Amino acid sequence: MKVLKLTPERCTGCLRCEIACSYMQTASYQPAKSVIRVSPFEGHTSYAPYTCTQCAEGWCMTACPVGAITINVAGAKDVVDDRCVGCKLCTIACPYGTMFYDTSTRKAFKCNLCAGDPACAHACPTAAIEYEEVETKDWLGDFAAERVSHVLAVNGGR
Amino acid sequence: MMATRHLIIGGGTAGMNAMRTIRAEEREPSEITLVSSERPYSRMVLPYYLDRSVAESHVFTATGIQLTEWKVKALVGRRAASLDIKANVCTLDDGTKVEYDDCLIATGSTAVRAPVPGADGRGVHSFWTLDDARAVIDEIKPGSHVVMVGAGFISFTILNSILSLGAKLTIVEVAPRILPRMVDATGGELVAGWLKANNVAIRTNAKLTKIEDAKDKKRLKFASGGDLTADVVIMATGIRNNLDWLKDSGIKIDRGVVVDDDLRSNVPSVYAAGDSAQGKDLISGQGAIHAIEPTAQEHGRIVGANMAGKSIAYRGSLIINIVEVCHLDVASFGAWEDGKADAISGLKTDRNAYRKLLFTGDRLTGAIIIGRSNDIWTTNDVGMLKGLVQTGQPLGRFKGHLRRNPFDVKTAFIASKTTRTLLPETVLGRPSLAPGDSPVAV
Repeated sequence: MKVLKLTPERCTGCLRCEIACSYMQTASYQPAKSVIRVSPFEGHTSYAPYTCTQCAEGWCMTACPVGAITINVAGAKDVVDDRCVGCKLCTIACPYGTMFYDTSTRKAFKCNLCAGDPACAHACPTAAIEYEEVETKDWLGDFAAERVSHVLAVNGGR
Repeated sequence: MMATRHLIIGGGTAGMNAMRTIRAEEREPSEITLVSSERPYSRMVLPYYLDRSVAESHVFTATGIQLTEWKVKALVGRRAASLDIKANVCTLDDGTKVEYDDCLIATGSTAVRAPVPGADGRGVHSFWTLDDARAVIDEIKPGSHVVMVGAGFISFTILNSILSLGAKLTIVEVAPRILPRMVDATGGELVAGWLKANNVAIRTNAKLTKIEDAKDKKRLKFASGGDLTADVVIMATGIRNNLDWLKDSGIKIDRGVVVDDDLRSNVPSVYAAGDSAQGKDLISGQGAIHAIEPTAQEHGRIVGANMAGKSIAYRGSLIINIVEVCHLDVASFGAWEDGKADAISGLKTDRNAYRKLLFTGDRLTGAIIIGRSNDIWTTNDVGMLKGLVQTGQPLGRFKGHLRRNPFDVKTAFIASKTTRTLLPETVLGRPSLAPGDSPVAV
């Protein structure tokens, strides 16, 4: 299946992905409602986008007590609003921290790959986010591990 | 050859997951019989039925169409009364005898009320079954004074619903603090302060002695302190698993049915799951009862796969709980109460944010998190803490970082490459199946 291939080395921290994502997902330009999130590293000298890996287990999906999380045409785990009651079990079951909850609608929401045409990948000007036929993986681990001297330097990083 | 006869006793979460997994995994068609005392529904949905945000029809899981599609012979309204493990026969409360080749004990739990005079009287309810929910819905009116006895997880799941119906709420708790089995004292204090600010009255160290009629209201009397007058009393004073019917059956029972890693009891043709099972705890490796939805789901899937002829060992269940009260999220994971663990905590009173991280060596074995629901920070950290506890990812140099800043969970999660450990993890050794039109993804 096609997934969001993240190349954090190319991310400039412009946040266009967050704006595009929130517009596609909630019809408002609100980065706070984006399900792809850009994190700063090394005192804002590096950035990386982070979002759902569309993992094989689908912890959110198997945890949902009402079958409200399903697999959409793009192969992404997707919340069916009409079925979601807002119990938050998916937010605690997802071990990646990529489930979200909208306090105004009282529904869970997450990356659904925009059903096959992800807005974040379109919006990214540096191809840090691409939508490709590759196996999902830990896109950020190595990048982040190399960029923690700033946070670890305090008190010798013990 | 005759088709294998599977008997599922209990139509709750574990039973539903087992039935669908059998159908997904089996190579030869089998017979499935379901015995369920109630028409199957999801207890998780009841709080949202109570606040009228969903219709009653939304609570049901195994509809007639669903059971037909799964080719399940359903005996609804019947309870299992005894099990003959030599003859492989289950006798129901109406005398019906059901023969099986293997069976699943998933008979769940029953609400227990504080043993005081008047506990079973008019206007006093549990909140556990659909019938309980219907009765409470009938009685709560705008302006009603609801007294909830017990400040544990169950009462907190319906707290928002009661307030949204326009009722005034008082919570009484016999222990010195609220949520004693879900968060520590610091966490309990933070939540109590938040609730008081949201006009919920809380009385701890309150030992209820009697409930009386007071005209059309109820009067609650306590060992010390004044009486309380209520329109509706809800007893959320605990649950007990339903295993009395197995007494003298030969099935080994401690606090629950003792099961091995395949979730089989001491009798190989008899499995147990969910609240009925005393299975492996992921963190301690010891037998424990985890009366929570995710354990019932995972147990049900493992049993279903094994009944279908697979041999899948369960790695153990992780205790996880989350509840939202007045837009404050409260969650805990794993061995959050472990006195031997190296505990790191951080409290930001101004933001109502709390983190407690319990380490064994450099691995996270338990955690508590509290924060505002509209804070994305809280929701993301909830998941990542679960991931760290679930994987036991060695945090090495990031433990020191978390000691200095217990709130920077995301950096530690990503840079310790927890995602790499998580990605291959599945419960059944294959990608999960979407629910489709069914209520369960397996």
